This record gives sequence, structure tokens and C-alpha cells, in this order.
Amino acid sequence: MRYETIHLRLGPFTAALTTAFREVGEALARLYPPQFRKAVGAFADFHVALVPGKGVRRFVRPQARFLIDGQDPFKPLPADQALPLVEWGLNYAIAGLAHQYMIVHGAAIEKNGRVAILPDAPGSGKSTLTAGLIHRGWRLLSDELALIRREDGHVVPLARPVNLKNASIDVLKSFAPHAVFSEPVADTVKGTVALMRAPDDSLERVDEVAPVRWIVFPRWRAGEAAQFTPFSKAASLIEMGHHAMNYSLHGAQGFALLSEILEKSGCYRFAYGDLNEAASAFDALAAAA
Amino acid sequence: MTASLHPRDATGTWRIAAAVDWRAWDGEIVAYNDRSGDTHHFADFAGWLFARLAAAPGDVPSLTAAATDAVELRCGAPAATVERTLALFQKLDLLDRVA
Repeated sequence: MRYETIHLRLGPFTAALTTAFREVGEALARLYPPQFRKAVGAFADFHVALVPGKGVRRFVRPQARFLIDGQDPFKPLPADQALPLVEWGLNYAIAGLAHQYMIVHGAAIEKNGRVAILPDAPGSGKSTLTAGLIHRGWRLLSDELALIRREDGHVVPLARPVNLKNASIDVLKSFAPHAVFSEPVADTVKGTVALMRAPDDSLERVDEVAPVRWIVFPRWRAGEAAQFTPFSKAASLIEMGHHAMNYSLHGAQGFALLSEILEKSGCYRFAYGDLNEAASAFDALAAAA
Repeated sequence: MTASLHPRDATGTWRIAAAVDWRAWDGEIVAYNDRSGDTHHFADFAGWLFARLAAAPGDVPSLTAAATDAVELRCGAPAATVERTLALFQKLDLLDRVA
């Protein structure tokens, strides 16, 4: 079996990914621009590998295993899930190792130099909303992990592909027909998943940090009109603490950092049922700032 | 919350511990306790009492008097409400005894 090592830029990080799955390398080439591929041998923050399953099973039902520094944190998955496994594994690596940042499980998008953080919650429609907004003039900083710089509270872009699930995939293909998608992968633990490449503008501006201006807790519900509802800053801070994956590690400084962000931010719940309406509502929010 | 104060604790004068950082927005308090690593959210009477103890130390009689003047207590026993809320703060290790 032939292995290939790809040095891939992930925002401020570089991951050295060694893979035995040729199709993964090809998919990553579609999802990340050429300038995000670094020279082999470049310094890497994370050393990860995607290798075949062990034993006889690899001949009967081929599997993929994800390794970080040679360790195997996940159960093997069917080989056709190798690409989502890589993206999930890279999230795991960043969330577990990049504690120089406050890492909030959620999306971060920017317009006019101001960032909206959308903390994730099951069924919130966060990724669908993010994917839609970044094709209506908002810049993608991150879909899954908002990296907050401790010294000034600015968000550092990752600009990695957006993870879409199930019906959202076709919704986005219709909403953003020129967007680049990976092939959908069925029967994962999250259902059918596909990755959507970040827009070129987001990729080109991957070094531009920006301050947080809004904290928005989205909720998708069929037929619901797009509407922002003000949300208590105190409750928002508690929610942000729940979504900050390494909040406890940062202790009092983490609390002070989130408090400062909340002090300067508008906090809202956002209900929506239609992406076009949602985009209009977000544009109005940005225009009013 | 059903915690009750130990009689000895009810006699003390208390303040918010120095290890507690906090913010107030619209009468709600979010407090980070560096001793426990926990973050708490207090609203309504608990928010008021926390802010009062952060501003100045207090004991049950003085806090009860201040609460009666400043807050519309929904229950008919302000002293009991003060004691119960102080007990909660003590349980969460948010207070230091002053005297």
C-alpha cells in the first residue's frame, strides 16, 4: 500500500496527514486551495494519519483508522467514510491541543470587520445557516471551532470546509449552485454527510482576524420566519462557557475573556426556516451595527 | 434550593470572596469562582443579594433590612429568604466570613 503525506494548512496550524487512501488526497485537493498545501517536510503542529483497518477485516470490509501521533482515539470506520473521518479527526486534534486559544464549539462568520459566533447545538441548523451566509457575503472563519485569541478576544480564521448533513446538502446545492462539495457519504453516525469548500474570499483572507460583535444562538424550524430575539448577556455567557471546549482550562482568565466579549456583543436567539430570509436578517443586523 | 444555614453561619458577617470574579448585566449576575472553577448565574433576589454582598459585607439582619427596602420579595419571610440565599452562596463557596 502506498502512503502519501500531505502538509495542509488549517488556519494558524499545519497538519501533516499521512494517508493510504488516495481518494482522500484527491478530495482534499478539491476542498482546500493549492496555497494551503505546504511543502513536504514543513513544520507541522499535528501529525495525523489515515491508515487501513487491521486484520482480516481489511480485506472483507475495508476500514479506515485515524491516528494522532500514532495513537488511535476513535473506532475504525468503513473505508468510504475516510474523508469525514479526517475532518472530524482534525477537529479533534485542534480541540485537544490548541489551548493557546479559547475554543468555542460553534461557527464564526464575519462581515464589515465584525464577527458573529453561532454556538452549536443539536438541531440548531448552525452549519446550514453558516454555509448559506458565507455564500451571501459573509466570510467564513470557522464552521465547527471558533478560535478566540486570548490577548484581545479576536477570532482567528480556520476557513476549513463546512460539514453538511442530510437534507442540508441538497438545500445548499440549490442555494449555492457554484459551491464545491465532496461526494456525499451515507450511513455515518451523523447520517449522510458532505463537505462544502470555503468560498475563495474566505480562503484568501485566512490571516485576517476580527473582533466578536454578536453572539447568535440559531434554531431552525420548518416554516419559521427569520427573527432575532434579544437574549440575556448573563445567560449568553453561561451558554458560551458550555460551548467553550477548553473553558475550564483557562480558569479566571477564560471567564474574563468571555465576559469582555459579551460586554461588547449583542446577544440574540435567532429562529429561521428559510436561508434567503435568514441572509436578509443577518445583513440587516450587520447594517445596523 | 432547600439548603439551610447552620445556626453558627447565620450569625456571621459575609462578603463575596476575593477569589470570585463577576459581571452584572440587567440585574443578572454571572460569577466565576476561582476556588472551585465553577461559573454561576444568579437572577432576581439571588442576583440582588450577590451584588449587595459584592458592594459591602453584610449579616442576616442588615441584609434583611436592606432587602425589605430594596426588593419586592415575593415570599412573606425576608429573613428566611436571605438566610436561604446566603446558604446557597456558602454551599457554592462564594463567601468569605468577615466577622
